[in-house]
Amino acid sequence: MTLKPIPVRSESTLECRSCGAGAPVDEHFCSQCSRILALGRHGDFFTFFGLPRRLTVDARDLERRFRELSRKFHPDFFYNAAASERLASLERSSYLNDAYRVLRNSVSRIEYLLSLEGFSPATPETGGVAGASRVPPSLLEEVFALNEELDEIRELRESGFDAAQLRVRLDAARTPIDRRREAHERELETLSARWDAQVEAPAAERRAILEALRACLLERHYIINLLATIEREAASLDPALSPAPPPGDAEPSAHG
Amino acid sequence: MGKAIGVDLGTTNSLAAYVKNGVPVVIRDESGDALVPSIVSVGDDGTIFVGREAQRRLLTAPSRSVYSVKRFMGRGIDDVTEDARLFPFRVSGEPGGVVRIGLGGQEFTPPEISGFVLRELKRRAEEHFRAQGEFDFEVDRAVITVPAYFNDAQRTATRDAGRVAGLEVLRIINEPTAASLAYGLDKRDRGTIAVYDLGGGTFDISILRVEDGVFQVLATNGDTHLGGDDIDRLLMEMVIADVGRAGSGVSTELTPELVQGIRKAVIQAKWDISEDQDAEIRVEAAPQLPTGYHRRITRAEFERLIAPLVDRTLEPCRQALADASLEPGDVNEVVLVGGSTRIPLVRARVAALFGRTPHSEINPDEVVALGAAVQADILVSGRREMLLLDVTPLSLGIETMGGATSKIILRNSTIPASGREMFTTAVDNQTAVDVHVLQGERELADDCRSLARFKLRGIPPMPAGLPRIEVRFQIDANGILSVSAGELRTGIAQAIEVKPSYGLTDGEVERMLIESFEHAEADFDARLLIEARNEAESVILATEKSLRRPDFSEVTASVLDPGETKRIAEALAELKSSMESGDRERIQRQTHALNHATQHLAEVVMNRSVREALTGRNVKDV
Repeated sequence: MTLKPIPVRSESTLECRSCGAGAPVDEHFCSQCSRILALGRHGDFFTFFGLPRRLTVDARDLERRFRELSRKFHPDFFYNAAASERLASLERSSYLNDAYRVLRNSVSRIEYLLSLEGFSPATPETGGVAGASRVPPSLLEEVFALNEELDEIRELRESGFDAAQLRVRLDAARTPIDRRREAHERELETLSARWDAQVEAPAAERRAILEALRACLLERHYIINLLATIEREAASLDPALSPAPPPGDAEPSAHG
Repeated sequence: MGKAIGVDLGTTNSLAAYVKNGVPVVIRDESGDALVPSIVSVGDDGTIFVGREAQRRLLTAPSRSVYSVKRFMGRGIDDVTEDARLFPFRVSGEPGGVVRIGLGGQEFTPPEISGFVLRELKRRAEEHFRAQGEFDFEVDRAVITVPAYFNDAQRTATRDAGRVAGLEVLRIINEPTAASLAYGLDKRDRGTIAVYDLGGGTFDISILRVEDGVFQVLATNGDTHLGGDDIDRLLMEMVIADVGRAGSGVSTELTPELVQGIRKAVIQAKWDISEDQDAEIRVEAAPQLPTGYHRRITRAEFERLIAPLVDRTLEPCRQALADASLEPGDVNEVVLVGGSTRIPLVRARVAALFGRTPHSEINPDEVVALGAAVQADILVSGRREMLLLDVTPLSLGIETMGGATSKIILRNSTIPASGREMFTTAVDNQTAVDVHVLQGERELADDCRSLARFKLRGIPPMPAGLPRIEVRFQIDANGILSVSAGELRTGIAQAIEVKPSYGLTDGEVERMLIESFEHAEADFDARLLIEARNEAESVILATEKSLRRPDFSEVTASVLDPGETKRIAEALAELKSSMESGDRERIQRQTHALNHATQHLAEVVMNRSVREALTGRNVKDV
């Protein structure tokens, strides 16, 4: 590991460090001297890929663009270039890899869109229990029922009740939560399609869709935490089994 | 500009390869050997021996010889105490600092030891290019491979080893990925490949997608502490237990010599049993083991013994598949890499897991070096047909309040990758902030690998919570991290003071580089002396052979005057005495003198031999 001071800069348009010509932020190479441009601070993942700010993304098309851009930027091809071009290649490759990781997953794509549109993150930062502190109103009923059932199961388990029977009860308690999760996946899809169709709509309508997306994501995170709690209880019913990972954890990269 | 090679710096063996007319080839010595044992030994006079000669010295001077040093790269003394138990060399170090290995009276860090191996590979490559008649034979750049699961400290240590050896390290690449490059040369079509790499000391699994010449790693996993060494150790412990039980007069103290003798015997048995259904472990008699030791071991016994070790490789395989969102059946090809994949049980377990017969067409000992050579060629030539996109094996994070970790770059992120984290101050006018950088998957900082602690200094005095200090983490294509920082309100770049947890400072690397040149000079002198002695010896032999001819006086009487014969005898005696002196220049001078003195004689003998050959006598009789 090495350490160095950060280059502090704030250009709003790009300036070619090789020939001094100006360039729009979504360009990768200088139109004058065709050298790789240093990465600006004002582009975004969508423009970087040459894509509109939409939530429906063709996975094959995105992958093809990723490979094409990798072939253009990768540090392998700038080994003998000037230091400024090597740095630009490193920055652009990193940005490309980050952009691809975020955009290829539907949930991280929505989270990214929300952050671009000025919303605070819909994910609890650490992905841990922080998101469980406030119950979304629409989930109050299910959460109440589930917590009661979990408490009872826990008590019975500690008093040595038959594990197989408890597992049946746990599965039953899980069913409505699983159903809510499926409903959320469908709702996210519907909202995403609405966003894509209303790119030209008035700001207030667009904002309403984003609000709905954000609320939906928050609930989704809450549901995933609930499922994780159920998984943990299931694991303690059968100590021989190690706890299974929650379905859809805080690492979006794990889901292509 | 010199040449670039690809190097597989292995736990047990190392080798180099280069691309010749578009095709990667391994570099072999005159006897066709490509593998240089990764063993370094220090002679009584400080001479450094590397490779086969050092391997011989494992038995004669075990406490001055070091092997498997890769296990110590980028690690601290607290990590390796368990390992050090069975090693005959002395291992020490400060807690949290670099491991030091004592050989003879000297101490070496692991990068220095690896540097000696790299320098030997560099020398062999240069000799190879010289022998090919290349004018530009100097080797000054290399791609060096590491296990995919190596962390930042281990990668940095490997790069330091390259620098200590006087090589510009073009790139650190992962062994399984390198192997896939060597395999993928002629297959550019689409496919998902699993590379299973079980070497001498490390295990890696990498899952790649290949399309349009882009080799993209989807996920990697492994164990940097699992390999053939561990199998050897199981066998050694079995033998040691046997020996102790039999009460065969063995002292409770295992001498380094005996440990090495046992190690050599079990390694041979391990090889044999991969070919046959049973093998014999035969330890030579030694002072502590007067009767020697031997026992038979069947394939079934061997497999029972090593099955738990082999099974430890399967969980990382499943984890890598899960991280890539794949099922075993989605993998189109499985490639085997590393000497330990010659063991039939390993092959069987891998075949069962993936449901297909694994590939092993390319020599599993050589495939990684070949791939490294391809990557070196890509970097030097700028060829764009193939591109390797690798991932970082472990998540990168920082310690947060209460000893938890906050992840900034997740494992299996394609590299180069970057991440940033905002810091602020806790009290008014605070001008410095401490940052602890970690690598690993665990939630608690104490369970992760500490990479470095650094201090952000020079923060402009402001009310608490106001400064916005951005710390940027950049993992480059080598998988090595760099950190930079700036205060965004004022735009002041932050000075960073760092203490690498298990690494060397730049100053230490510099010093080692200088020392290695001094060593190199001493080694170079030693080699020149050996060469001078060899040449002198051949001249002496040729001269004595001529003098011993039964027809010597008959042949020479008519053409050589007595003074000439006397001068030859004197020059011969002079050269013989100079051989003892160890003075290279004197040996060379006397060799030259003897050559000169015998020139006339040689001509006479030669003429006569030619005549005899022409008249039907066999040249061998001359």
